[in-house]
Amino acid sequence: MTKTNTSERLLDVKGLTIEIETRNGPATIVDGIDLHVNKGETLGVVGESGCGKSLTMLSLMRLLPNKIRVTKGTAHFAGRDLQTMSNSELRKVRGGEVGFVFQDPMTSLNPVMRIGQQLAEPLIYHRGMNKAQARKRAGELLKLVGIPGAEDRLDAYPHELSGGMRQRVMIAIGLACNPQLLIADEPTTALDVTIQAQIVDLVKELRDRLGMSIVWITHDLALIAGLVDRVAVLYAGTVVEDAPVDDLFARPAHPYTQGLLASIPKLSDERASRLSSIGGTPPEPGRRPKGCPFAPRCPLAEAICHDKVPVLESLVSAGAHRVACFVAQRKLEAA
Amino acid sequence: MTVVPMATTDIKEEPPVSLWRDAWFRLRRNRLAVFGLGVVVLLAFTALFGPYLTPFDFLSQNLDARNMPPSLTHLFGTDDLGRDVFSRVIFGTRTAFLVAIVVTAIAVVIGVTLGALAGFFGGWLDRVVMWLTDMTMSIPNLLLVVVINASLKSPISSWMESRYLATLNPFYRETIWVDFLLVFGSMALISWPPYARLVRAQVLSIRSRPYITAAQALGLTNRIILMRYVVPNALGPLIVAVSAGLGTAMVLESAFSFLGVGVNPPTPSWGNMISDGLRVWQHYPHLLAAPAAVLGLASVAFSFLGDGLNDALNPRGAK
Ligand SMILES: Nc1ncnc2c1ncn2[C@@H]1O[C@H](COP(=O)(O)OP(=O)(O)O)[C@@H](O)[C@H]1O
Ligand code: SF4
Ligand SMILES: [Mg+2]
Repeated sequence: MTKTNTSERLLDVKGLTIEIETRNGPATIVDGIDLHVNKGETLGVVGESGCGKSLTMLSLMRLLPNKIRVTKGTAHFAGRDLQTMSNSELRKVRGGEVGFVFQDPMTSLNPVMRIGQQLAEPLIYHRGMNKAQARKRAGELLKLVGIPGAEDRLDAYPHELSGGMRQRVMIAIGLACNPQLLIADEPTTALDVTIQAQIVDLVKELRDRLGMSIVWITHDLALIAGLVDRVAVLYAGTVVEDAPVDDLFARPAHPYTQGLLASIPKLSDERASRLSSIGGTPPEPGRRPKGCPFAPRCPLAEAICHDKVPVLESLVSAGAHRVACFVAQRKLEAA
Repeated sequence: MTVVPMATTDIKEEPPVSLWRDAWFRLRRNRLAVFGLGVVVLLAFTALFGPYLTPFDFLSQNLDARNMPPSLTHLFGTDDLGRDVFSRVIFGTRTAFLVAIVVTAIAVVIGVTLGALAGFFGGWLDRVVMWLTDMTMSIPNLLLVVVINASLKSPISSWMESRYLATLNPFYRETIWVDFLLVFGSMALISWPPYARLVRAQVLSIRSRPYITAAQALGLTNRIILMRYVVPNALGPLIVAVSAGLGTAMVLESAFSFLGVGVNPPTPSWGNMISDGLRVWQHYPHLLAAPAAVLGLASVAFSFLGDGLNDALNPRGAK
């Protein structure tokens, strides 16, 4: 499941760099991210808020806001280059092959359109259904995501549903056209704790039924432990560790990951996104340190860390476990 | 990708998926809005058919019955030329609607176009539009209108007259429409900036809302996103503004008439009736009260209706 055979890769992002134009010139927000998702795989992307998770995903679909641009790197979906494909081809990928679920279900649905119609929109556009077919399918989708009285809910407006129900609707919209990949950007962050678990369970069940790949973005590693196959840990716009989920929990190699795991009990108590066991805050865009981006906060930092940037490398002992840290790499080479 | 097997379900006939029908249901539950709508409909009916139903011709003078107080024959009394005030108020309704609709239509077209372009494209276009808007708003309205009328009205009229004498072309004979054109044009000229600002702000704020990104992530085309996501969400405030703007335009026309740059007598307008009435209100209060009350009623009705429409068109807020 975690083989790195390139041909199996559904999504393949290499060296993706995103910059924002500021008054003081361009500032790097995402710095050479490497990410991939294999067919049928569920990838968790974990990192503190502000580390560039959302922008990375939006950039794949060329949806970056004004003044923010991809300046380096490549992104392929099912072998096709997302950055150079035509707009019309890209529109088919959006919604048709890649579904999105966004963080805030309160603001991600059109407030003046009934949810049945919002579900029907992509079906009519991508699947060429007529209104009646789309409406029927919309009812089925609502049932699929476990909305009670699904058909009656087709005519509801978003504000008539609770947050959890709205997020189910968002998931239904994301899955409407049977996409090969579902990108869920912190889909539970805006919800109550009990509802969070329900949404995770729902997505797990849907994945097992539909067999799509998933990228699940979160700052809460504990929440997705039972859902994902592999985890990429992001820090300040770079992937610092990438490992099968069990490996990551058993042998976290990067000091940042270790800090993340150490703070899990506190996180689930307080639902806080700050890392209590790691002092300091991530660097702001435009004020990145010269060497390892984590060096200013790292308890293990050495001289070289402030000078050179560690690259994401496989550990010899475990091919699928990759880490970007001088100390961790040395330790594991030695072991 | 396999299609998911799912239980087929009985689904009701497709309902009228219409924002408007829903809005109508919500509107009917709002008393003030219903009152506003009722008054507006009544006034509109009066404007359309009233002049054919009036007991007296609005021009016919009866010098034996001048300045009569209200009575059964003359519901609102008569004026200093013995004309029936009720009939004149009714005809004034037509003038008021004509002015309000034409002025608001021109102002909305200018304002919505400029505002939407500015909001959508930003950059230098936005700066130019905003500059125009600020310029227009910073000039005192009445001053501008008086200047336009004073400087253009008589030259155009006399030019038309000379053309008519030279060519005998009937096109130049009637100068009343120059009057209307100038009144309408100058009123529209000072009325568009609020619409431009409103629409620009709406487009700017809606463009960056998450549901627009979500719609883009669904692969929908810009046209669909504009028509089904941006416009319906921008509509509520615009309708409120238009509805209130109709009332404002009626009030504006009165202000102009008061300054002598409105619709000219003998065409009755509430404005010139109020301005005539003001001169004698101590002796014949009904000459001021009748047109002023109707103008006030119209203005209030349009604003209630606008607020009601806003609530009705916005399914989140309405109760
Ligand atoms: N529209 C925007 N304009 C300016 N800066 C932005 C914008 N969106 C995001 N950023 C900045 O980019 C960085 C990464 O943002 P984001 O990808 O949203 O982080 P995450 O999803 O990991 O919380 C943050 O520092 C944020 O301040
Ligand atoms: S490279 Fe150095 S500073 Fe960076 S995480 Fe590893 S030990 Fe810490
Ligand atoms: Mg985010």
